[in-house]
Amino acid sequence: MAIPIIPSLLRDNLAALAEDDQRLDGRARFAGRDLEIEIDCLYNAEGSCRVRMGDTIVFAGVKFQIMTPYPDRPTQGGLMTSAEIRPVCGPNWEPGPPSEESIEMGRVVDRGIRESGCINTTELCILPGEKAWQVIIDLFAISDDGNMFDAFALAAIAALRTATVPAERFDVGEDYKLPVAGTPIMCSYQKVGGRFVYDASKREELGGDERIHITLGDEGHVHSLQKGLRGIFTADEFTEIMDTAQSRCAELREIVHKLEESQ
Amino acid sequence: MGYEDYQCMDENGIREDGRKADEMRPVEIECGVVPVADGSAYIRWGKNEAIAAVYGPMEAHPRKIQRQDRAILDVRYNMAPFSTSDRIRPGFNRRSREISKVTRDALESVVNLELYPRSKIRVEIEIICAEAGTRCCGITAASVALADAGIPMSDMVVSVAAGKCNGIVLMDLNKPEDNYGEADLPMGILPMTDELVFLQMDGDLSMDEFQLAWDYNVKAAHDVHKIMIEALQKRYGGDV
Repeated sequence: MAIPIIPSLLRDNLAALAEDDQRLDGRARFAGRDLEIEIDCLYNAEGSCRVRMGDTIVFAGVKFQIMTPYPDRPTQGGLMTSAEIRPVCGPNWEPGPPSEESIEMGRVVDRGIRESGCINTTELCILPGEKAWQVIIDLFAISDDGNMFDAFALAAIAALRTATVPAERFDVGEDYKLPVAGTPIMCSYQKVGGRFVYDASKREELGGDERIHITLGDEGHVHSLQKGLRGIFTADEFTEIMDTAQSRCAELREIVHKLEESQ
Repeated sequence: MGYEDYQCMDENGIREDGRKADEMRPVEIECGVVPVADGSAYIRWGKNEAIAAVYGPMEAHPRKIQRQDRAILDVRYNMAPFSTSDRIRPGFNRRSREISKVTRDALESVVNLELYPRSKIRVEIEIICAEAGTRCCGITAASVALADAGIPMSDMVVSVAAGKCNGIVLMDLNKPEDNYGEADLPMGILPMTDELVFLQMDGDLSMDEFQLAWDYNVKAAHDVHKIMIEALQKRYGGDV
């Protein structure tokens, strides 16, 4: 991503707003933007989801391939998450090989899903030592107005939970629903004007400092953490956002489950 | 199923997806789908789905790419990894490069580039679901996105394709017709004058078949043009 010029005016503005506990778009500190989730929206993907958070729009598509299991884990399939941030999604994103930012996003989302254990890789085995499913979650951004991490993570788990294993097309039995035990959810916080806010917009990201990503599982257990960008934070700050993450993750999980039921 | 077995039409002249020979798949267009872009369009064309976004005019850098007398178009066509039945490895390939180039050549023919010397206009085309005919989808969506961005153009490019399957000339081939068919003729048409800015063809067509495919395309282009105009009117109102 081309580094945009950050006017000190924007930083000053954000700092002044923070003093009155205000944000640029009038949101409360821990309030998210309008959220829209659509599942099963891409015809050629085996599982899919479109997430819109404010003006941030992303897709996740799940595809399956047949792989040879690794020799040291002959009964396990694979899970891979890859984020592609193409220049379509904003004026500062440039074409070329995957950027550091997109690699970080893909890996952090991957860890949350992998470490929650919601995919049992042994269940992906077709023939031990010879054939297993590789599940690939492709994250694809259409419009970047900030906090793509959360949008990607939400799209990824919702797409995964609605995925169908295309066994017929690969001639290895009948199609079946991919078993997914759990709904890990990510919540991201960014230091803006000296304090952490939830779901930062692009302008808050540009004028902000470090960010923290927290992925929580169904029982409220932590499955992945990531601190990004330059900045220093205290244990108290972390405790505060961890508390709000617990309730927000539960809310989002509920939204995903309701959506699945209504399908 | 082998090449010889595929039957694109039943005894009543109806194709697998219910169309007649000269009928297109349904087309839907919506403007302004990428909120952070200067102009954008979403197109659904049968099962094809594409998003086009336009950024600029903006400074062209490095300077060696600048043209002193006009703007340049920087066009990228790309297929999302999940857009086809087998996953596509991310990144450019020879096919997407060529389509990006012919799309640029088509759009540069209508955009009034001389108005913006030394600048660049970025056109991003992302195919999120593919079912044959994605380049036509992309060019058409990009035209609408350029109009949505307020970039002056002499006309919009409408891209459509006719082809041949089982020896029958068909408008707008779908996936199996494209896979088992004998020819494909994509064209980029300027609906105000019926001039062409984009033309490709592969396969085998007699001169009669070629003329029929051409005529199908010109007619279809006018139908799609109406949908493009309606999408812009829906966003901006009034006459376009």
